[in-house]
Amino acid sequence: MEKKTQASPFKRMMAIRGMGQVITAAIGLIILMIAFSILNSSFFGGRNIGNLLRQIAPTLITGIGQSFVLITGNIDLSIGSVVGMSCMLSATMMTKGVDPLAAVIITLICGLAVGIINGELVARFKLPPFIATLGTMTIARGIAQIANNNYNTDSIGEGAGATAFRNFFYYAKILGLYNTIWIAAVIWLVFNFILSRTRTGRHVYAIGSNIDAAKLSGVNIVSTTTFVYLVSAFCSTVVGMIICATSGMGTMDAGNSYEMYAVAASVIGGVSTLGGQGILLGTVMGAAIWGVLQNGLQFAGAPVAIRNIVIGIIVVLSVLMDVILRGRKPHYQPEKADNGPSGEKAK
Amino acid sequence: MKKVLASLLAGVMVLSLAACGGSGSGSTTAAAAGTTAAATKAAAAATTAAAAAATTKAAAAATTAAAASSGQKYKIFLISMDQMDQHWVNMDKGCQKAVQELGNVDYKWTAPDVKDDAKQIECINNAVAGGANAILLAANGPDADVAALKDAQSAGVTIVYVDSPANLPAVGTFATDNKAAGKTAGEQLLKALQAAGTNEGKIGIINTNAATTSTVDRESGFRSAFDGSKFTILETQYCEGDAAKAKDIATNYISQGCVGIFGTNEGSTVGTGNAIKEDGSGKVIGVGFDKSDTILGLVKDGSLLCTMAQNPDVMGYDGIKAAVDALTGKNKGDGKTVDTGVTVLDKSKVQ
Repeated sequence: MEKKTQASPFKRMMAIRGMGQVITAAIGLIILMIAFSILNSSFFGGRNIGNLLRQIAPTLITGIGQSFVLITGNIDLSIGSVVGMSCMLSATMMTKGVDPLAAVIITLICGLAVGIINGELVARFKLPPFIATLGTMTIARGIAQIANNNYNTDSIGEGAGATAFRNFFYYAKILGLYNTIWIAAVIWLVFNFILSRTRTGRHVYAIGSNIDAAKLSGVNIVSTTTFVYLVSAFCSTVVGMIICATSGMGTMDAGNSYEMYAVAASVIGGVSTLGGQGILLGTVMGAAIWGVLQNGLQFAGAPVAIRNIVIGIIVVLSVLMDVILRGRKPHYQPEKADNGPSGEKAK
Repeated sequence: MKKVLASLLAGVMVLSLAACGGSGSGSTTAAAAGTTAAATKAAAAATTAAAAAATTKAAAAATTAAAASSGQKYKIFLISMDQMDQHWVNMDKGCQKAVQELGNVDYKWTAPDVKDDAKQIECINNAVAGGANAILLAANGPDADVAALKDAQSAGVTIVYVDSPANLPAVGTFATDNKAAGKTAGEQLLKALQAAGTNEGKIGIINTNAATTSTVDRESGFRSAFDGSKFTILETQYCEGDAAKAKDIATNYISQGCVGIFGTNEGSTVGTGNAIKEDGSGKVIGVGFDKSDTILGLVKDGSLLCTMAQNPDVMGYDGIKAAVDALTGKNKGDGKTVDTGVTVLDKSKVQ
């Protein structure tokens, strides 16, 4: 079983802000996986691991989007509805004979439009993010409903284009891993690079840490905030197309509550809802724990009430840990006392 | 068309007044109020050459003439569990068909945005406040709405249950006998498994949630079909009607070695079919509920053995008719349940 550690030396890794929670989450993940495979040996079969990774992918992708927004100190409640809107729009177009590639592009444009609206409302018009994204959430859900005249769509069919669409987003494998996993991996790589190694990424953290200082330092609040909402909308749109490919049709209530699962994945992985803290590696851990819980509890035969309680407890514990740790210094301090005046590691 | 019909009915009212001289204080005052309106309308409609046609139409409309004798339209609300599931959309269509045939109904379809007890209670209260004469209700759960329904009934509102009843006597219930339908589904699955030579193994059930009576009844009916057999039914998983989540659950069932899977509603069935199709081994048999274009496709290509097709449009149609009958006093209803039935749609029936 793989342990998710970086190749770099332990100390350098621990100096990355946010890594502490990631390690905790990783340990939790490993414990969960061991527990579930004891409860049911088929949990660890190769077949289930492939399925499990594919089931984690949508949560991870929406989690990445939500993490971007959370790090700026905002929130995006419209994720689930954009998933539904994207699912319905792409399915409706394909059932009406639109070429799948064109349908994908048009749906992406519509999804990104929602992202721009969110960003402008929050940053330029200074609406509280909760209210702004609540509004776009209901609007997007409404669009999902009228897309096919308040009906779920017909099947997108077995045609060459539709089959290619379904295979690309969900059913096909490359090198033994489902495409969905590759899509999630590519999205993670791109956005992790942006967040950790580009100026825009630094600006994202800056806004979340101290928005006034950021503004005074010359960070363009409006364009950076719009950017993070665009990221979130992009991720939601992609997941909507994955859902459409999974079912082979569009359902109006697709994506229900996905924004909450995305928050859970982010928070478990150490992204703070207060902003300024957290890394995308944590979102991977969070999404993995979320997916393992869903999958493993089914294999363990747990009744749904137990499952809900367990998941809820784990999310609350993660947030609790985050809040408690925020009261401490951000850099990890090892136990040894004679390591210099403040215990900070110089890189 | 509606205006002409209304004028003709008003004209019939005038004629019946002249002929019978009214039957009670209530209808006399209402008739008096209607006379003024009728007079103007009758004058306008008198020119249309439909004098003879009016009498034939009057005969045909005799049943509803009594209802419209005061020129009044009955306000009927359909309150379903949400407005997105195809089931309710088709039920609304059935209601609209009845409303068009009757012509004396002011019909509205309302529902919460998601399946939620509190929101549905609000819908009921809003309907009562909005002047509803009758409510067609698909209750989220048997007990949650009872208090609100009692208030509605004491405010004079007639209640008819469609799809899912509540624990309060009303005109009647028009629903699928879900327990029987679930049992049929189970029997179909059992028959197919035994025909394939499998006499024991694991069966998985994908349900919507633990609170909706209709799907819970389907599950218990399904389980009863397996009483005494050597099959083990695993712990039920819930997908909240999400077809993608249902697919994940079904895929996990297949990984656990299930030989049969049952989906209790449209979303669960779509997910089941997709998972079996992806598995492709032919070793897993799936049965489901409800029909949609995707489900029919999955039955046609063999991924699903069969699906139980309900008749939500019949529920809506009969429900409206029963409500109007109760309102006009023609038939107050006996509180009994009318089974609107299911059809087993298997490959032979799907073309």
